[in-house]
Parts: sequence; C-alpha cells; structure tokens
Amino acid sequence: MMKWIRWRGIVAFIGVLIILSGFWFFFIDGFIGRMIEKTGTRIIGARVDLDHADFSIFPAGLILTRLQVTDPDEPMKNAFEVARAAFSIDTVNLFRRKVIIDEMTLDGLEFDTPRKTSGALPSKVAVAPSVSKKVPIKEFKLPLFEVPDVQEILKREELQSLKLVESLRADIKKEKDNWQTRLQDLPDKKKVDKYKSRIDKVKSARKGDIEDILGALGEVKTIKKDLERDIRHIKGVQKEFEVSFTLLEKRLDQAVQAPKEDAYLLKEKYSLSPQGLGNISQIFFGPKVGQWVERTLVWYKRLKPVLERAKERKKDSEVVKPIRARGVDVRFKEHEPMPDFLIRQAKTSLQLSSGNLSGKIKNITPDQDVLGAPLSFAFSGDSLKGVQSVKISGTLDHVVPSSSKDTISLYAKGYQINDAVLSDSDKLPITLKKGLLNLDALIVISGEGFRAKGKARLKSAQLLVEVQDEANLLAASMRSALSEISGFTLHINVHGRPDKYDIHLTSDLDDVLKGAVSRLVQDQALQLERELNSAILEKVGEPLSELKVSLTELETIDGEITARLNQLNRLLGDISAKSILGDKKLLF
Amino acid sequence: MLSIIAKLLKVLNSENEPSQISLAIGFSMIAGLTPFYSLHNILILLLVLVLRVNLSAFILGLAFFSGVAYLLDPIFHWIGLHLLTAGLLKGLWEVLYNSTIWRLERFNNSIVMGSLLFSLLFVVPLCILMNLAILKYREHVLAWIQKSRLVHFIKASKFYETYKSLSKLKGES
Repeated sequence: MMKWIRWRGIVAFIGVLIILSGFWFFFIDGFIGRMIEKTGTRIIGARVDLDHADFSIFPAGLILTRLQVTDPDEPMKNAFEVARAAFSIDTVNLFRRKVIIDEMTLDGLEFDTPRKTSGALPSKVAVAPSVSKKVPIKEFKLPLFEVPDVQEILKREELQSLKLVESLRADIKKEKDNWQTRLQDLPDKKKVDKYKSRIDKVKSARKGDIEDILGALGEVKTIKKDLERDIRHIKGVQKEFEVSFTLLEKRLDQAVQAPKEDAYLLKEKYSLSPQGLGNISQIFFGPKVGQWVERTLVWYKRLKPVLERAKERKKDSEVVKPIRARGVDVRFKEHEPMPDFLIRQAKTSLQLSSGNLSGKIKNITPDQDVLGAPLSFAFSGDSLKGVQSVKISGTLDHVVPSSSKDTISLYAKGYQINDAVLSDSDKLPITLKKGLLNLDALIVISGEGFRAKGKARLKSAQLLVEVQDEANLLAASMRSALSEISGFTLHINVHGRPDKYDIHLTSDLDDVLKGAVSRLVQDQALQLERELNSAILEKVGEPLSELKVSLTELETIDGEITARLNQLNRLLGDISAKSILGDKKLLF
Repeated sequence: MLSIIAKLLKVLNSENEPSQISLAIGFSMIAGLTPFYSLHNILILLLVLVLRVNLSAFILGLAFFSGVAYLLDPIFHWIGLHLLTAGLLKGLWEVLYNSTIWRLERFNNSIVMGSLLFSLLFVVPLCILMNLAILKYREHVLAWIQKSRLVHFIKASKFYETYKSLSKLKGES
C-alpha cells in the first residue's frame, strides 16, 4: 500500500497551492477591475473605466478608485464619475458564492464630467439603446401668425363635401336604374285592361240563369282577391321606395351642409384658435419635458437588470441564467434565503455643480423576490448654489416581478432659472430671463404602465419676447401679455407605456394668453372660415344642383307607382257583387 | 510537437505500472471534463500528486479531455439540468444547497453536475479498459513496433534523440 504513496507529492501540492495563492494575490485586483469594466461597458453601452481596484479578504472588502461611466449619448463626457468607492463584503456568504455588501460608500460622485478620450464603443460591439436611437420626441410648433392662403389649403386638402357629392351621385343613379326595373314588374296598363275585360265578362252573365249567376259571383270573388294582392304588392313597393328616397334626401341634406363643415374643420386646422392657444404650455415646455422623460426611461431601461434578472421555473426549482458562465445555475430553497448579489446600504454624496447632495440607497439586488424587500433611496441637499433645497426619494419595488412598481418623487425649492429659451420661433422668440422654480413631481412605473405627475411653480419670472414683425397684431398682443407675467404654475402629466406615452402640460399661462389674444384670434378665424366656405361652395355648388335635379327625377317614380295604385283601387271599388249583378234576381 | 509524441511513447513504454498510467488517465478525465476551476479538482490534484500515478499521462489526458469537454458540454448541461430538476432528488439538493462546501463546489450548475456525474460513472470502466489496453500493447505491439523499419527510421531521427534525452534525464533523476 505504501508503495502507492508519493510523500514528495504533498510538498508539491502545497507548493502548487502557494503558487496559485500568490498568483491570485498579485492578479486578483486587475482581474476584478477588468470584470467591472467589461460588465459595466456591456450594460451601459459605452466605456466604463476604472483606475484601480483593491480587493482584500480579511476583512473582506473592495476599494475602487476613480470609476468613470461614459454617457453613451455624449462619449466625451462621463454620465457620472466616482472618486472612491469602498465596499465591505460579508466573508461567510462570499464562500457561498454570494456577494453581500453590507455597506458601500461612494465618495466624490460627480455627473457630466469631461473625458480625456472618447468613451464610444466600436460599432461592432452590441450596445444598450441610446437616447438618440429612441422614438423621436414629439415636435411642438408655435401656431402660424398669418391667415393662410385659401386656395393653397384647398389644393392640399381633400374635401369631404366633394366626396359626399360624388358618392351620392353614384347612389342616386343606381337607385334610379333599380326602380325603373322594379316598375316593370308592377301591374301596368296591360294588366288593368285585363282586369277590365274580366269584369265586363262577369257583367254579361245571363239573367235569371242560376248557374251563370253563381259562376259570376265566384269570378267576382277571384278578381277581388287578385286585385287586393296586386294592391298589397304595389303598396309594399311604394313603402320601400319611400324609405330609400328619404335616405337619399337625408344624404342630400348632409351634402348641402358638408361645405360648411369642411370650412369649419379647415379653419380649425389652419387658424390659431383660442383652443390652440390653450396648448401654449405644451409648445413652450413640451420638448424639454419630452427630453427629460426620454432620458429617464433610457436610464431606467439600462438599470433594470440591476433590479430584476432572467429567471424561469422548472419543476419547482428556479433556474437562473448567470451573466457569465456556461450552463445554468439551479436555485433551491434556502434555510435563510439570500440573493446572489446584494448591497444592503450605499452611502453616497453627489457632487453637483450647485453643491453636494447626500443620501442612501438600500437593498440593491437583482433578486428582490429572494430578499423580500424593495430598493429604496433618498437624497437631499440644502443651500445649494442656484437651488435652495432638493429632495429625491423613491422605491423600486420588484419583490413580485410580475407586478413591479417603481415610484420616484422629486422636490426642488427655489431653483434659479436664467436665460432659458422657451420658443426659438422666428415670429415670436421667447426667453425666460430669470425666475425661481419650485418643483414637485412623482413618477410611477408599474409593469408596462408609466405615468408622471408634476407641478412647477415659477416665481419672480421675467420673460423677454422679441417680436420681429411689429405689424403682426397677434404676435404683438402675445408679447404684451407675456411681458406682464411674473409667475405661473405648470402642471405636467405624462402617461402611457415607456415606448408610447403622451405628455400633457397645462398652465395658467394658457389662460393669460387666451384672454389677451382671444378676440383677435376669433376674428382671424371667422375671416378664414368665410373665405373657405365661399371657395368650397364654388367647387361643390354645381354638382350639388345636379344632385337636386337627379333626386327630383327619381321622385317621379313615386308618382308612377301612385297612379298604378289608384287605378287598381278604382277597379276594386267597381267590383262589388251588387255593382256587377245589379238588381238581377234569382228565379227560385 | 515531437517532444509531446516522444513523451507519450515514453509514458507508454516506461516501466511504470499499467495501473499507474490508467489511474492517471482516469483522474485526468475527471479534471478535464469538469470545469477546471472547480473545488473537486483541488482534491484530484492532491490525489495525482500524492498517489504514485503517472504525471505525464495525467497532463496529456488532461489536455485531451479538456478538448473533448467542449464537444460534450451540451450533453453535460442536459444531464445536469435533468438531475438538478428531478423531483425525487429535490430534498438532497436542498440539503447540499444549504451547505457552504457544496456551494463552493457549484454542484447546482448544470454543467458541473452533468460533467462530474458523467466522469464519475465512466472513471472505473475507463481505468479497467486502459489497463487492459496498455498490457496488450506491451505484450503484442511494442515488440513488433521495435522491429519495424519505421522505428529504425525514427531511431535515426531527431525525434528519437529527444526521446532518448528524456529517458536519460529520467535515469539521472
């Protein structure tokens, strides 16, 4: 047995272990650093750079120095940069392949810092979606300030009235043909003559002859029945005609009214209506709010893998796809369930240009369902440069992934705005020279639904409006109204799905502008409507008259039906037994 | 390349016991087919170094089976996933899952489980077959090979010099 043991092998084994440990000791920092850079780059879609990583086992911890995360939309800028990040790791769980970070401290977190080299990835590398690749943000344009040319409008637009006239003309012709055919099937003069000859035959029955008289009575009965059937038939047809004719008459009325409706709709489209002015907040602030929403959603999408990862259930066991590994890891019930990755608490201080925001993030894990608690965060800062105080807090709840709910609330007080361009229109450029903003907003993303509600109150505002064309009364009125405004409240309402949402903005600014230019706008709109009405009537007038004539022609069919009905009714009146047999008496 | 072939022949023709070579091949199969950075491979390394198994055979076998593992990974994944999700074994897996040492072993990974089970099942038959094959080789093929023209040709080549130098080194040590 002893001949199978190689004692020197134990020494060699220890030697191998020492070499491996030494290798690990010298290279683990670089390995971790590269892992962080590679994984971060894949998630963000732009370069993530780390100056240095320092890993220690006793006590287990990791210190990262200068972590830079490139902004994928501006590769010469970092979306954020951390001067130092220190992690204290739970050693026992590390041996169980679980990275549990009890506390993480981020020092010197800055946003939008410049980069020395571009952080863009080569095009062949698959990247996360960037803002520019998203659905284009809805464009809001200032309404026109001049009455548009009516002929130009009519060239561009398809008139509903013309369409109606054309379809009605075709239908009247069809109905005419149809009723001409139907008339041929109705009892005509020939049939009336036939009835007359049958009646005459009955009248000539021999007097006193009982058989003749009885025969005549039977024939009278038969003629009467036939006449009644034909009358019923004609009455039915006449009713059908009346229904069809009434319908056509109604459509003709609609066609007559259609030019007015066309003029109204085109006026609504092409003129600056008081209702259109009601959307002035949307025009001024819509693009900016749209950009914020897009940016928030893109970052949310990028960070979503941190909140939730791909899992599937297979025969009561949970199969988890690890980010980097071959095969799949199957997860079983744990006596004390713990996620594979968890940062219990992250303390951080955000260095903004306006000052520092400090706060905490709790429970960062892609396995909230295992932990049973959502991610929560709260940041605040007071007496910052350009803003009195800021509070951002929220909960990203993916404990039950199928009914996830993320809530973020933002509160800012005394935010100073300087030289913000509200409208870059040539006709009416508007700049908010200065103002103090108080903002209160709430964003909720639940499942596929998304909504955001906010209220922004601007105080001490000074608006600069430069009207290029002084002759333009509308622009001049708006300038005068806006110049007097010193504050307003903006209500923001966004709802829909992250890929398709609507932004609705309202403010008391709308009412101010509406009041200032309402009369002017109404006059302009009325003038446009009148012009449109007469231009459309010019186009549609003649076809409409033709339609009226056609319908009158169709009405003659009703006269023909009535005439035939009257003839048969007269015959029915003539054919009573008494009128045919007169005072003939039976001889028995 | 010549050196590797020379080593192989050296291993096969050395005076090492066939059982020492076949056991080394068996160990190399476990270490080669399963993911290299697995806990059980530390035990395999310890056994390879402490037991008098043929180290060259182990290294050659490790290189060979590591290559084969790439081809067999889908089968290992399939075996592993079926075992890990089998209702009957659920209790056992739960006990192991709550043990730190088994978590370090990553038994709950489909490929680790599949490849480890596969190699443990086939290690004994492989050792027996290898043992028989080496015995047959030495009994019948070795004498025939040594007499062949090819061997004469080889003995006159640079390759044989390498082989001889390896043998000398071995003798000196």
